[in-house]
Amino acid sequence: MRSALTLKVIARCSTTKARVGILTLPHGPVDTPVFMPVGTQGTLKGLTTKQLEELGCQIMLNNTYHLGLKPGQELIEELGGSHKFQNWNRNLLTDSGGFQMVSLLKLARITEEGVEFQSPHDGSTMLLTPEHSMSLQNSIGADIIMQLDDVVSSLTTGPRVEEAMYRSIRWLDRCINAHKKPESQNLFAIIQGGLNMDLRTKCIEDEYKMILKYLLFKEMIKRDTPGYAIGGLSGGEEKDIFWRIVNFCTDKLPKNKPIYCMGVGYAEDLVVCSALGVDMYDCVFPTRTARFGNALTPKGSLNLKSTKFAQDFEPIEKGCNCLTCKTYTRAYIHMHATRETVGCHLITIHNVSYQLRLMNNIRKAIINDEFPSFVQKFFKELFGGKDKYPIWAVNALKSVNIELLS
Amino acid sequence: MSSLFNLLKTSEKSLRLGRLTLIKNQEQKVLDTPNLLAYTSRGCVPHLTPDNLSSIPLIGAINVTLEHFIDVQPPPSTQFPYGIHKFLNFEEYLVFIDVRDPGNLNLMSNNTDKHVSVYTAHGVRQVTSDSYIKYMNIYKPDIFVSLVDNIADEAPSLKRVKRSVDRTLRWLDDAIYHEGAQVFGVLTGHKNQEERIRSAQETAKRNVAGFVLNGKCLGSTSRECVDILKPSINHLPPNKPRLVYGLGTPEDILLGVSEGIDLFDTSYVLKMTNAGNAFVFSLDIKNDLDSFNRQQQIISLWDINYQNDARPLLAGCQCYSCKNHTRAYVHHLLNTHEMLATVLLMSHNLFHYTKFFKDIRESINQDMFSLKVEQFFRVYSDGEKEQKNLSSIILN
Repeated sequence: MRSALTLKVIARCSTTKARVGILTLPHGPVDTPVFMPVGTQGTLKGLTTKQLEELGCQIMLNNTYHLGLKPGQELIEELGGSHKFQNWNRNLLTDSGGFQMVSLLKLARITEEGVEFQSPHDGSTMLLTPEHSMSLQNSIGADIIMQLDDVVSSLTTGPRVEEAMYRSIRWLDRCINAHKKPESQNLFAIIQGGLNMDLRTKCIEDEYKMILKYLLFKEMIKRDTPGYAIGGLSGGEEKDIFWRIVNFCTDKLPKNKPIYCMGVGYAEDLVVCSALGVDMYDCVFPTRTARFGNALTPKGSLNLKSTKFAQDFEPIEKGCNCLTCKTYTRAYIHMHATRETVGCHLITIHNVSYQLRLMNNIRKAIINDEFPSFVQKFFKELFGGKDKYPIWAVNALKSVNIELLS
Repeated sequence: MSSLFNLLKTSEKSLRLGRLTLIKNQEQKVLDTPNLLAYTSRGCVPHLTPDNLSSIPLIGAINVTLEHFIDVQPPPSTQFPYGIHKFLNFEEYLVFIDVRDPGNLNLMSNNTDKHVSVYTAHGVRQVTSDSYIKYMNIYKPDIFVSLVDNIADEAPSLKRVKRSVDRTLRWLDDAIYHEGAQVFGVLTGHKNQEERIRSAQETAKRNVAGFVLNGKCLGSTSRECVDILKPSINHLPPNKPRLVYGLGTPEDILLGVSEGIDLFDTSYVLKMTNAGNAFVFSLDIKNDLDSFNRQQQIISLWDINYQNDARPLLAGCQCYSCKNHTRAYVHHLLNTHEMLATVLLMSHNLFHYTKFFKDIRESINQDMFSLKVEQFFRVYSDGEKEQKNLSSIILN
């Protein structure tokens, strides 16, 4: 199908599947692998768009479900779409709205027609169809938009999983047909990673075959969407299965298209998935944890509410050049964390800066073909001793020729 | 460190145009008056990160409230070796410290000769004169306000009022005894005219850098409050700046300026911002036709009528918010309880407030103040009675 993006791969790691690309979207270039912060309601948690630009953010998320409720489709269209509405001249990505229906609304029911849910306003039954999702996303106007897919909980087993996968393909076709702006908005298909937990007992090869059958990969690839997302993987599933599915997907998906792993944002996940060949990520974690007073650093998270920081006159992270670290001490932020909005803004600025810097370092390491040693250093700094390394990460990296424990 | 207050211009009324200059380590900080001291909460200007604060270039002075971070004594920040300016990232600004919060003065009478009681995030704490001075020596603000024995009773005995004046003077003596400190003395005396005069005269005898008048809680209207403060003001020397707490609305500011007040706090701006309001008033009423139609001073961005209003908060305003965002967007941010709402509103409101003060200074300089004020009340004031009251004060 028609595409409004180009992906130019400028470097590949000679050991792993990691790659560096320049993804050119309607609102400018995006360096990949990229972490995309989440501005759910058309704003990134207290930060101005100027601050986001200064942090080097090239793309962020908005959530279709939230914008569809407030300000609503009619208004956002009248106000010129989401870029103009929030005065953000760089790239945006919106989800389909379906995930929030399933995760936020208890009464969501899925039929062939779409996702049925009760309006949080008046309790009436409403229906989100693939066509409606496209129409909403066309009005919002993001550079990348997502198909509506049939989301099942990662703990679901049996035929429901298979049903969801087939339905997701039928819904993709409906989305492609309903999409009104392929020249300015890139529709991504979602590969449902929804796990059949029965698979755990079988060997990996069997698992692959089953997933292949269930996901009907070829069908998805045949649709030739501008990019692909791996979905349904951030619902608390076993990490050892998670990486295998990601690894499998990056093997099977076309190499000339961006691959987006939805809902992933912990630092070690970003490093591992980049080694497996993923190009894009999003997660609310860095901004959400900031609001609870937690600051991210290469050595792990600091809870700045703790009184142990009351007299700590170091910056959150030495060497970090974000506004927060250049200006204030941990002691200062401790006074404000979770009490003043400024405390929250300052930690959010740092955490977004941390995530973007991590991605920048990953890209630099790949370009210099030093990625394996970067990964070694990263794990050592974050976890301390090798005995503390998560086993799933060790296994995942071993699959792409990095021996963390050697 | 030394401070200097020059009166650049006075009028036969009480109007004053001044300049406060502070010299510290050969560095000079200047504040033209009438002006504002930006209100802080826990040592930050609420909602504004330093980059957003510096997008408001006319802010020159900050008022830091000690009771916000004195739940543990000594406050951990006293261990910071480089002073309060650096700790709070206010090196570019004149930093005032007062122990009490000018915007939220919960009056407490349980002061003794030894200490005052303050409200912290973790309950009531006592601050002694000695420890306060010790903290000030460490923090090294440009100016600090000496301790004051506030009276909570509405109708205190004369004995209580006298004690309040005496204690406050004693604490002032403790404070200015310390070399180099620039101290503002607080005028007390409650509603008792003789005591207010005694407090003013005694304070003026001392080597203070300026005066603080606390009108909050004394009168039920701004007019009443100013009338109560007047005996104090009338007994102050002209050559030192006067800071008032409790006057915040544009009318209040104009009233205060016309009575010879030089400095104001901005807790009103925070209150308006948190309520979702944007300032749209102006001292500069260009079109005379405008003045016949009563206008709004503030708009509430909660109002659903703004949901599709693509105009800035205030047309022509040069603040960050107005140059970049629409009323519709701010309405949406409020409606979705997003923190950017108060960031944008605070950026605009504080910017606008500093501009209002600049307009006041210019109008005094051009002998236009009375005319501007008259226009202002004609356009904005509710009710003829209030208008008459206020303008009579100003035009007298």
